[in-house]
Amino acid sequence: MAEKDWKDCVKNLKGVVLDMCGVLYDSGEGGGIPIPGSVEAVKRIKASDLQLRFCTNETQATREKFVAKLQRMGFDISVSEVFSPAPAAMAILKERNLRPHLLVHDDVLPEFNNIKKTNPNCVVIGDAADKFSYQNMNDAFRVLIELEKPVLFSLGRGRYYKETDGLKLDVGVFMKALEYACDIEAEVVGKPAPMFFQSALTDMGIQPEQALMIGDDLVNDVGGAQNCGMKALQVRTGKYRPSDETHPTVTADGYVNDLAEAVDLILKHRSQ
Amino acid sequence: MPAKTSRFLYRSSVPPLDPQETESIRIYWRGGPVFFAAVMAMRQTLKAVLIDLSGTLHIEDTVVPGAQEALSRLRQAPVAVKFVTNTTKECKRTLLERLHRLDFSIQEKEIFTSLTAARGLVEQRNMRPLLLLEDSALEDFAGIATSDPNAVVVGLAPDHFNYQMLNKAFRLMLDGAPLIAVHKARYYKRKDGLALGPGPFVTGLEYATDTQATVVGKPEKTFFLEALRDLNCKPEEAIMIGDDVRDDVGGAQNTGLRGILVKTGKYRAGDEDKISPHRM
Repeated sequence: MAEKDWKDCVKNLKGVVLDMCGVLYDSGEGGGIPIPGSVEAVKRIKASDLQLRFCTNETQATREKFVAKLQRMGFDISVSEVFSPAPAAMAILKERNLRPHLLVHDDVLPEFNNIKKTNPNCVVIGDAADKFSYQNMNDAFRVLIELEKPVLFSLGRGRYYKETDGLKLDVGVFMKALEYACDIEAEVVGKPAPMFFQSALTDMGIQPEQALMIGDDLVNDVGGAQNCGMKALQVRTGKYRPSDETHPTVTADGYVNDLAEAVDLILKHRSQ
Repeated sequence: MPAKTSRFLYRSSVPPLDPQETESIRIYWRGGPVFFAAVMAMRQTLKAVLIDLSGTLHIEDTVVPGAQEALSRLRQAPVAVKFVTNTTKECKRTLLERLHRLDFSIQEKEIFTSLTAARGLVEQRNMRPLLLLEDSALEDFAGIATSDPNAVVVGLAPDHFNYQMLNKAFRLMLDGAPLIAVHKARYYKRKDGLALGPGPFVTGLEYATDTQATVVGKPEKTFFLEALRDLNCKPEEAIMIGDDVRDDVGGAQNTGLRGILVKTGKYRAGDEDKISPHRM
């Protein structure tokens, strides 16, 4: 049923939004490795009449470094095509005149260079990985609990992601821990927040129903894009688990083995 | 016994208890062991008394005034006594040593802690746990097989709450290992300020795996039922006495025990309004 639906909408498609980690490549030691066929798949979309943007919750590096890594893997990609949470958070912090206490990966710190951080009045957490120590969590907790009205921003709310040596806890887990400790609710910047998808659509100048999201995270990629009015496919790579296909609340518009198969099907149906 | 009742403070303000009364009670007292007056008044139906430790019998290394004598008096009554506490860092031996230093006459088998409850569950289900516990608590798990773990037990373990260890726990849970929380406190007070308790990390792991932890400490029903199990006593035949209105009194009441709140330890004015027991 769903399969047929998404293929029907392919003819009216004007743009594609791709998740990156788990769709283009699997992360891990040494930067990770491309998923077979994905370098070629990106090239094929770019050669078609479809627009292409990338939406990532990657917060372990600045966009520049991150894009450079993907270029080294062979991907045809540029910084202006990539939407990531750190620049989006910076825009919000500046707009609301906030001074953040940061619990983020060292490599993404440069994104927050141009903002005052002394006497913080909010906390920003990203995927800090090994920096998620008890001490660092406690420091963030103490900043929050001292505030009259604690403000916590979370760069994404993912549960876990896949690296070459296995599944790893994502920022959402630590966001939940701080939420519970302080009895507050975090503001999520990045997927699955509809604003985040909308910024990519606005950049392409298209409507949600003219766009297709492809991701490996059922809740954040697929569910988030659907909430924004887009159709969305789940790839069976990255953090995909077979139980995703019987998830109680989120059902993808289609399931494909990998990005290469998705692009094959899209281009085939558009040419018919 | 009746000859000594004059020693109880506010004795005259404690009316006789209706034997049909099954609702829990609370007592207002100011430092005196008046609750034992109530215990005596109820003894026809009473088989067991559960008593919290910290804040009720002692505060750190200081005895709550009158507590030793009160306990001696209670020992003369035909009721079983057990000492129940939410501990995640101190093993039974450490607790017992402190109580003995403070001249309380208590035996190890009378102490039931959240760690005891966790161990009980692990044994009952034949699990091999990954123990996220401080070294000082590990003694209570002596003899439990922990190689090739198929369960995760989380206590207060700042040394273990790091990314690597949490990932290890997470991966076990994805493979089906149940999560057992010794308790779910949000934070606690340290000398240098507030510090995260086990609750936030338990909540994080629950979110990561979309599962619910089994919480074994107070205020869980299973905790009180397990404490009463070897006393051959139904919940309505027991009383819980403690200084924590939610974990001690509220938890006991939800299980069917009567709960008595003492105004010592962590008690704060207005705590009695946080629950709605029958006023005595």
